[in-house]
Amino acid sequence: MSDWSKVTRPIPVPDEWTKPFWDAAKRGVLELQRCQNCGDFQHPPYATCVNCISTDLKFEPVEGGGTIYAYTIMYHTGDQRFAGAVPYASIIVEMDKAPGAFLPGNLLGVPYAEAKVGRRVEVLFETLNDDITLPQFRLAQTTSTA
Amino acid sequence: MWDNRCKIAVSGVGFSKVTRSAETPLAAHALQAVQAAVADSGLEMSDIDGLSTYPELPATGHAEVDGVSIVSVNCMMAMLKLPDLSWHMQVGSVNIGGAVQQAVNALLAGVCKYVVVWRAMHNPQGTYQNLPGSHATGATQFTGPYGFGGPGQGMAVAYTRWLEKNNQNREKMATLAVTQRRHTQNNPDAYFYGTPLTREDYLSSRMVAHPFCLFDCDIPVQGAAAIVLTTADRAKDLKPAPAYIAGYGQRLHFEVAGRIGSLSSYMEGGSSSSKLTWERSGFTPKDVDVAQIYDGFSASVIYGLESYGFCKEGEALDFIQDGRMELDGELPMNTFGGSLGTGRIHGLWHIIEGALQASGRAGPRQVKDANVSFVGASAPIVTGTTFIFVGDPY
Repeated sequence: MSDWSKVTRPIPVPDEWTKPFWDAAKRGVLELQRCQNCGDFQHPPYATCVNCISTDLKFEPVEGGGTIYAYTIMYHTGDQRFAGAVPYASIIVEMDKAPGAFLPGNLLGVPYAEAKVGRRVEVLFETLNDDITLPQFRLAQTTSTA
Repeated sequence: MWDNRCKIAVSGVGFSKVTRSAETPLAAHALQAVQAAVADSGLEMSDIDGLSTYPELPATGHAEVDGVSIVSVNCMMAMLKLPDLSWHMQVGSVNIGGAVQQAVNALLAGVCKYVVVWRAMHNPQGTYQNLPGSHATGATQFTGPYGFGGPGQGMAVAYTRWLEKNNQNREKMATLAVTQRRHTQNNPDAYFYGTPLTREDYLSSRMVAHPFCLFDCDIPVQGAAAIVLTTADRAKDLKPAPAYIAGYGQRLHFEVAGRIGSLSSYMEGGSSSSKLTWERSGFTPKDVDVAQIYDGFSASVIYGLESYGFCKEGEALDFIQDGRMELDGELPMNTFGGSLGTGRIHGLWHIIEGALQASGRAGPRQVKDANVSFVGASAPIVTGTTFIFVGDPY
């Protein structure tokens, strides 16, 4: 299993587009940007809806699980801050209720080799400091598929 | 078909010495490549009246210093002091293929006669791709905290998606790496000239970012390549046999920054670019005699072959087996060794090889009777451009 205990992660800096995402994460809620015109979710946040170009965008809670859309196992130790966790799984998750929105994360709590395309995952939250909490992922604890 | 089909030609190519580290400032590499290309064309430097490049330093977390880590149009202008300079252009969106296409457009517009295009690539000291520092801003706020953004990871995620969705095996990529390295032995300008690679070397090499091992990644180098373009009527009077541009295209799809892993974005980028090139040139994939498909990371070849229409989605790793990409194969491919053989000079070397093969100037690696020469000059996503060169403009 990857040892994250010695990793110092770069701290995200929220901006005017992304602040609601990080504010929600701090409350332990996953909120993603949703177009109020066509209903599509998208991530990362953008100035316009990438589907219909509407600028009427709001952040809405996204509940439930997701699947691993893609992943990579990092072996390179060029960045010393992450070297202690190598090899580790970086994954891209597509939430059931927000198709098309791709969330990067790490697969926590299981050996990195458990990362496979299509595996079920759920969100958990990792507190980085007083201001920033990271959405992260672990394998789904239940067997339900949305 | 395109009204300007075969009206512009490549008439000279040149390279600098390619070294692993920055022994001399990058401007010296760019100058050496430009001088070699002009000499190859038989022109005098004073004949050059157009300049074009894409100067970006793709390494992250390193400073762009003109003449040292990038070579801008301004830098080249200052060095050459061309007496008849009448046009210059520096592109920012579709890599070096875009700089070549702008040169074509300027020549067609009649605002210059002989354009030189160069790509100079710097290898900075330390890690090539750096994660953000203590804080992650912009698009990296969603990737950097997870250790995303190091070497190859952005491409690797789409590759795992492709492999597992299509029930494929990364070991098949050994054929690409080994065949290209063998092609490299016919290219004395390449970084890995004189260094063979076996299937066992590939299969036992260390992983960088799964599914990429060391030999799936082009080695960062310091070097430059350059070409001279002119109009077809002028090209006929120059020393080298011309390579006529039958068509070109650029990707018409863009993915929001920071949205990584999307396999469809590679496919849409590549298909939108190649569709223009097929339509403008009047050719189809079946007409192609030789292909250069960008391979900065090996998986780019998969996305290229599939999105350009050479094979069906999910089949690219099978398509390259059984000798198909050999010089005498069904589709000779990356005949100069690709970026995996030359080192990381981006796509201008692919464009140059496409032109050399079309004009019968590829020497020991010349594909017999090649005329229709296809180039995918960069990864189909974000920076994708495509070209078709012909030696015989029918």
